[in-house]
Amino acid sequence: MAETKGSGLDKNNKYDRQLRLWGDHGQSALEAARVCLINATATGTEILKNVILPGIGSFTIVDGHKVRGEDVGNNFFLLADSIGKSRAQVATELLGELNDDVTGNFVEESVETLLESNPDYFSTFSVVVAINLHEKALLQLGGVLWEKNIPLLVCRCYGFIGYLRLAVREHTIVESHPDSALEDLRLDRPFPGLQTFCDSLNMETMTKKEHGHTPWLVLLYKYVQEWKKTHDGQIPKNYKEKNMLKEMIRKGIRQNEEGVPELEENFDEAVTHVNSALVTTRIPSEVQALFDDPCCTNINSESKTFWILCRALHDFVHNEGNGDLPLRGTIPDMTSDSERYIQLQNVYREQAATDMTAIRNRVHALLQSLGRDEPVFVDPKVSHSSPCGAVSDNEIKTFCRNAAFLRLVRCRSLAEEYGTNTVNKDELNMHLESEEGDDLLFYILLRGVDRFYDEYNRYPGRDNSDVEPDIPKLKTCLTKLLHDWGLSGTVKEDYIHEMCRYGASEVHSIASYMGGVVAQEVIKILTTQFVPINNTYVYNGFLQTSTTVQL
Amino acid sequence: MAATLKGVLQGSLADNVKNSKILVVGAGGIGCEVLKDLVLTGFKTIEVIDLDTIDVSNLNRQFLFRKEHVKKSKSQVARESVLKFNPDVDIKAYHDSVMSPDYDVNFFKQFTLVLNALDNRAARNHVNRMCLAADIPLVESGTAGYLGQVTVIKKGLTECYECQPKPPQKTFPGCTIRNTPSEPIHCVVWAKHLFNQLFGEDDPDQDVSPDTEDPELTAEAGQSALQSEAKTDEIGGIERKSTRVWAMNTGYDPEKLFNKLFRDDIKYLLSMETLWKKRRPPQPLNMTQLPSDTDGNSSAIRDQRQWSVKECANVFSDCLGQLKKELATQGDGGMLVWDKDDETALDFVASVANIRAHIFGIAMKTRFDIKSMAGNIIPAIATTNAIIAGLIIMEAIKILSGKIKSCKTVYLNRVPNDRNRLLVPCTLDPPNPKCYVCAPKPEVTVVVNCTRFKVGALQDKVLKSYLGMVAPDVEIDDGKGTIIISSEEGETEENNDKFLSDFGIRNGTRLKCDDFLQVYSLVVTIAHVEKLEEEKEFEVVGDLSELQPQEEQQQAANGSKPHNGGDKADEKEEEDDLMLIEEEEFEEEQQRMEEETRTTRKRKASSETEPTTKRSKTAEAQAAAGDNDVIEIS
Ligand SMILES: [Zn+2]
Repeated sequence: MAETKGSGLDKNNKYDRQLRLWGDHGQSALEAARVCLINATATGTEILKNVILPGIGSFTIVDGHKVRGEDVGNNFFLLADSIGKSRAQVATELLGELNDDVTGNFVEESVETLLESNPDYFSTFSVVVAINLHEKALLQLGGVLWEKNIPLLVCRCYGFIGYLRLAVREHTIVESHPDSALEDLRLDRPFPGLQTFCDSLNMETMTKKEHGHTPWLVLLYKYVQEWKKTHDGQIPKNYKEKNMLKEMIRKGIRQNEEGVPELEENFDEAVTHVNSALVTTRIPSEVQALFDDPCCTNINSESKTFWILCRALHDFVHNEGNGDLPLRGTIPDMTSDSERYIQLQNVYREQAATDMTAIRNRVHALLQSLGRDEPVFVDPKVSHSSPCGAVSDNEIKTFCRNAAFLRLVRCRSLAEEYGTNTVNKDELNMHLESEEGDDLLFYILLRGVDRFYDEYNRYPGRDNSDVEPDIPKLKTCLTKLLHDWGLSGTVKEDYIHEMCRYGASEVHSIASYMGGVVAQEVIKILTTQFVPINNTYVYNGFLQTSTTVQL
Repeated sequence: MAATLKGVLQGSLADNVKNSKILVVGAGGIGCEVLKDLVLTGFKTIEVIDLDTIDVSNLNRQFLFRKEHVKKSKSQVARESVLKFNPDVDIKAYHDSVMSPDYDVNFFKQFTLVLNALDNRAARNHVNRMCLAADIPLVESGTAGYLGQVTVIKKGLTECYECQPKPPQKTFPGCTIRNTPSEPIHCVVWAKHLFNQLFGEDDPDQDVSPDTEDPELTAEAGQSALQSEAKTDEIGGIERKSTRVWAMNTGYDPEKLFNKLFRDDIKYLLSMETLWKKRRPPQPLNMTQLPSDTDGNSSAIRDQRQWSVKECANVFSDCLGQLKKELATQGDGGMLVWDKDDETALDFVASVANIRAHIFGIAMKTRFDIKSMAGNIIPAIATTNAIIAGLIIMEAIKILSGKIKSCKTVYLNRVPNDRNRLLVPCTLDPPNPKCYVCAPKPEVTVVVNCTRFKVGALQDKVLKSYLGMVAPDVEIDDGKGTIIISSEEGETEENNDKFLSDFGIRNGTRLKCDDFLQVYSLVVTIAHVEKLEEEKEFEVVGDLSELQPQEEQQQAANGSKPHNGGDKADEKEEEDDLMLIEEEEFEEEQQRMEEETRTTRKRKASSETEPTTKRSKTAEAQAAAGDNDVIEIS
């Protein structure tokens, strides 16, 4: 990370504010990524700007258009004197100035020509972003990338509407960073190290100071053991039982000579944590689904590292883990003297390290059985989506620590979305019949203006004088579209009017907004942190509303 | 300007956009994006003001700046960069503080709209008041990591920025910092104070020596401890001399400084036995007898590896030498300013904080983490700024099309919420009639002990720091118009050291406070009490009726809390000697954003259209999420 080639700036300083979000490993993933943009419109260059600044490895613009006057008006990365020049070239040059550590390339060809002449062209990219593609080219490109499992982000800004669609066959996430996650404490099923440590502490013989500084985790452990004795070895299950346990804990507070309870904060903390800390340790359903996935049950020499790790995790759970995931190994802050806090911390850390070692051994055994244990040179630029030989300890560690948060995204393909028999009719119908203000109506309208384009070779309302006469035409297009889908509803007239008024214009503030949203999804995908949007996102700039649906 | 946009911006709106004059306050992350968006939306006349210069760590998002611009004025470089791409726009840049008297209400009145792109509460408060005074609509915004927020403020129509009380700024009691640290942050704050004591501006509130007036010590115990330390050698003498002078006299000798700070002062603390009855006592360190290095992972990056105590001591020595040289270049009476982006200054704080943490048995931290804590760094990325800027422009467009009533407060979530919404728009609330800023006749009650509270503290701590005034004038409403504080220099300075009671101020006295620049008048009613709970110096309440129950409640809380250090209960109890952490706006901003995103979804769920059952379920899930709902910093 300390390398200073390119810009000559220390990347730790330049990227300081973002390293605090996705870490060094996230940054390395970004720096290894190759991003392709199809069509350098305002939205396209805004997206690229927002991934070039944080430092992707390289970008390539595919665009056969020449710069027109209207492009210059809304695109920051085209200049007035670039009118008539290649849009791909001008944008590449100006965007390249944003970050000397990023390499820029361009191809002055339309995506249609490129798909015709060299369909494999796109297979070297980590992610492809396509702006304003017509249906035929879009489906063709979607098919090629689907085959290679390269994520495709389709984006469009139309008047005050922003649209994003992610199409990826399979995207796996190790660090999903859930908004809320319970601590992994195992109070219901204490591991031997925890038992030994807690049992070694005798509350009766402690000094006053020690008593009041015994971590609540230990207190809770001890009172749960007490409880189990009289409850068939079960932990408190419901609200009532938990309240009874709380009462037991409160009674454990020491009293002074006059029989008044001392102020022992650790006991207060133990009571407060009964609900959140005393939970049944279980395998989350998302992780169970991964275990049941054919990719996990049938690993082979071509399997992605993620699936090999999943399989090792699965095998661990059913052997060393005694039904549990590897211990996360962290404990929350609590009132305690630092000695015992650190001891307790080590008890958890050591168990986590033991679990990690067991999983590492399983990973290596699996790799060996697949003939993949030799460290194979892997081009970091393509490692994201391809199988690889060696798996580093850090990777395994991160995987173990996030075992409960593993996620899998499988999108529906564009072919399915556009296919007459596979279109998500029910979802669309629900939005069509819902009250006014539904963002998804604009998805239907976008499909409608595409139909309009197919018929008239232009978008509705392109000139102000066209707005009124184009309304009935667009309405007819929508009727046909809905008919094809087998839906009987209609789109309200004022929506159609609004759409015609937009005249396919690209408003810069919408482009800026979507530039941020799409770039953020690109970063999620490249760093494999956070769960990306699955699969369609629509933004209504006038109402400041947005919706995510699966189409 | 794209011709097609005419259609989108209906009728006269395109002309309104073209003819309007916009003030952008701040040319940082949001500011850069906003400037670009304004120009490309057709705005022609823009003014931008920012006090800051460009730093390397800005370059990952503030796209109008390049590495060759580092240390130059943000507003001026931003202007030049935008003009390079769009020469036919009129942009005026001010490299200045928006709180300067040059930008008075007439300055604000020339604009159609003001767009805030700020990063601190003081400036936000000030611009809020200026826009209220000038009656100009204000679009307010902020980002923190993946989160962001935009809202619209219009006098008489909406809540102003100060209508809802903000969470208090995070502070630590002086004695926690000086005597009984229990968290890494306490050591970091102490280390920054030490930097200032040795090289920076002398601030008596940043004393780093043991505090004999710790309320935990009975008067007796404090006294005896003091006597046991009645040595008058050069080390003991620094209690009375300034740390700076003493350190200079030793030539910033690393060993002398180390042993004074980490051995002798700690021994002195140990002599205050009361403090350690319920705590782990600290362990003094001698520079020549440090625990030997346990070489762990020396291959890791320096920034993210845990330094050993020995390493810390070496870094401490090296930094002293370098900082001493730097100080010398400043000439007589010169001083250094602590800056998180200055390598040596950060090294110094990282090493000192870790040594102190080690002594007190507190977890040591990496330099990377300490930078975060010491600089109150808030993560910042291009994507969130781009999103928020887009939202700001959409609100601006609505205002210009006369649809201010359809403007919204919009919250940006990290990921779509459980109702699949990335954005949460909420209708704007009407002004709070009890707001001490935007109410027609703003009033507050200040609770103090008039015989112990000085006029200077009223000016600095109450009126400026707490109530956000820039240059207050204060007149006693006694029929004689006695002026106790004047914003004119040299008129009332001699009053600063006098007590309120010296001017006949007592329970029920009304003070007429004015800020000429902010065109802001506030009546402060004094409520006299002998002693405020929690050792506070003063308390500000909206009206007196709020005072009584609060008092009872706090007494109850006091009675039930032990006094043994280390947690929030203590922070509340010992606010006698508050220490502000600089730049904490960032952290506070982050918390506020987290809070608001969460609570608003609950509080304002009614502005959306989902069924109630679903809503309360969401609220429950959020409550269960509890404290875990913080930004991930990995
Ligand atoms: Zn207000």
